[in-house]
Amino acid sequence: MAGPKLIKERVPTPEVPVEERIKSFVEVNLGYDFVSAVKEAERCLQCNPAPCIQGCPVHINIPGFIKALRENAESPEEAVKNALRIIWDDNTLPAITGRVCPQEEQCEAPCVMGKAGEPINIGKLERFVADYARKHGIEKELLKEFTSTENGVKGKVAVVGSGPAGLTCAGELAKMGYKVTIFEALHKPGGVLVYGIPEFRLPKEILDREIAKLKELGVEIKLDHIVGKTVTLEELLEEYDAVFIGTGAGTPKLLNIPGILLDRIYTANEFLTRINLMKAYKFPEYDEPISIGKKTIVIGAGNTAMDAARSALRMGSEVTIAYRRGREDMTARIEEIKHAEEEGVKFEFFLNPVEFIGDENGKVKAVKFEKMRPLEERDAKGKRKIVGTGEYITLEADTVIIAIGLEPNKIISEEATGLKTNPDGTLVVDENLMTSIPGVFAGGDAIRGEATVILAMGDGKKAAKAIDEYIQKKRLPA
Amino acid sequence: MVYEILEKREIAANNVLYKIHAPHIARKVQPGQFVVVRAFENGERIPLTPVMWDAEEGWITLVTFIRGRTTLRMNMELQEGDKILNIAGPLGNPAPMKKFGKILAIGMITGIVEVYPIAKAWQEIGNEVITLHIVPEPMIILKEDLEKAVSKHIVESFPLKEGMGMPEIFKELVTRGQAKVRELIEKEKPDLVFMVGPARGQKAIFDVVKEYGIPMEVDLHPIMVDGTGMCGACRVTVGGEVKFACVDGPSFNAYEVNWEELIARSEFYADLEKKALEDYLTKLQQGGAQ
Repeated sequence: MAGPKLIKERVPTPEVPVEERIKSFVEVNLGYDFVSAVKEAERCLQCNPAPCIQGCPVHINIPGFIKALRENAESPEEAVKNALRIIWDDNTLPAITGRVCPQEEQCEAPCVMGKAGEPINIGKLERFVADYARKHGIEKELLKEFTSTENGVKGKVAVVGSGPAGLTCAGELAKMGYKVTIFEALHKPGGVLVYGIPEFRLPKEILDREIAKLKELGVEIKLDHIVGKTVTLEELLEEYDAVFIGTGAGTPKLLNIPGILLDRIYTANEFLTRINLMKAYKFPEYDEPISIGKKTIVIGAGNTAMDAARSALRMGSEVTIAYRRGREDMTARIEEIKHAEEEGVKFEFFLNPVEFIGDENGKVKAVKFEKMRPLEERDAKGKRKIVGTGEYITLEADTVIIAIGLEPNKIISEEATGLKTNPDGTLVVDENLMTSIPGVFAGGDAIRGEATVILAMGDGKKAAKAIDEYIQKKRLPA
Repeated sequence: MVYEILEKREIAANNVLYKIHAPHIARKVQPGQFVVVRAFENGERIPLTPVMWDAEEGWITLVTFIRGRTTLRMNMELQEGDKILNIAGPLGNPAPMKKFGKILAIGMITGIVEVYPIAKAWQEIGNEVITLHIVPEPMIILKEDLEKAVSKHIVESFPLKEGMGMPEIFKELVTRGQAKVRELIEKEKPDLVFMVGPARGQKAIFDVVKEYGIPMEVDLHPIMVDGTGMCGACRVTVGGEVKFACVDGPSFNAYEVNWEELIARSEFYADLEKKALEDYLTKLQQGGAQ
């Protein structure tokens, strides 16, 4: 397969043109077709050991699925089926991870091809396999292989929260033969995948299908159930052999500065929930309203800030991202920053908000910032420290979206007092992800604070293994 | 989950009672807590308060005041036997069940539905509870229930006159409410005043109570989306600190609430709410509503 000449550049994936996509919430990246996927797959050097596998938090056998793709280049169905089987062994939600993972920091970062040219486009290949399999009914056949419950039901596990951590944990346990029930507070499952990440990055139809697949694996989902209120942790422990807490970090941090209660100042969570979960961009076809002015300032520069900025832009607003650090300090995915720039989002760096200024009706009309400058010194996270310059600038804005981070919701830890937490609200867990209550495990943002989808999935998978061991051990006669 | 409407009836003008099968709520709800309801696939989430419930039979009752698109739509499109898509809860903190002594519990218009379970429970644990319902005559509700549940139930009402719009009705509610509360405070000397109603109405009553320095608690109703503390739409300033009403409340000390902010924020969506209602009314007229 490998030709004499090294193919340094990636096979590109088509994207919806900027002019067209900023008018709607359609998915920006269109992904590979079979021919281009195989072409990209052929660039892989099939390393052994493969550094890309180590870069993936759930350790997908990447060279393995890539090999499966190109080995059957004449039979797409066979190729995709074999590739998907390999992916599913480690990851039951590839259509999601292929889209939202920051691959440049994970699997694609250590890719050997990256040293000579561009790394293999692993994320888009994973996405291709999942999408193609779904479209051509290959998934259905394969599901049968994974739902064999020859050993009967091994036990009952409750999963709290249906975000990436909970969905992964549930999927892994279901594959092992457990009866899993997910408890979700909102009216739709998916956690941040449904209320946080917009359709232009992750179409909701794809999320719904990935979740439907888990149901086919036997996972039950109870919506409208707030653990800590509707049902207590103690009650869950009476009914289930173990519990996994994947409640995320859903409480928005607010800026403690004057004017925070002015109208049209949103947290990114509220703004994105209205748009993604409640479809306020389709108001009044959908009942949920949203009010956005002509000039929006988004404060923060993570993925949430990019999602909010690009959503506001699609609602017809002019958008500026204001960040207190510099361009190279932004934590959002490179691809998302690039998309935001292409779409016309403006960036202002080294600006720290000190006051929101309102008009006579209590609506925000401007934001006052202090200009910052970077120091050589770095903080615990390796970012440059910044200091105020004493100089100020005021930018006009009739809408402000605050995207400066999230912390864990306290509902469950306030109710279950035996559950130990750290000062930042995250749950204390041991090396097996077990909390201070035996039989109760936790993972994802609930233990890490705000992190990434794939780290949450990695935790979900690790916890599933630990839960299996815990239950098996408990069953053994002493 | 299936939330079947077991019973539906108009208990007063613009006040509709729904008795709903919701065992997960009925089993757990305590006075002071609320639920978030989503009735339609393209619908919004609205906070409502269980008025009565039966844990064994697994039902709750909710009363909606028809004030906009969703509550009107529920009335037009949902009948007995139909199902509500989602009811999440119970949410918020229960009302503190303590012996305060003599309590004046006030409900303005449909606010009385939230007063009912709390007042009843307070009376049951040994408080002397006087309830006051400030309301236009055609909207009097829960009168017999409250008369049975508490020491004294007073209705301060007035007839609706031809051509009376919302501003006029509201003015009347405030004027009469303030006078009645002043009279009751002087006569009954309550140890605690509690009130549920529109933010502007709460503020108006608080202005009177404040003169006497009597402790006052209010259940706040800012705009809510999720009701679980993940968005901050319901944030209010209390005692100089930002609080989320859905997880830190809904009950707060009236002396610590920043009323101007709360009132401005509760009217934030007035234009869009009007648009949503008009859009729905147009659809109804054209027979296009599903």
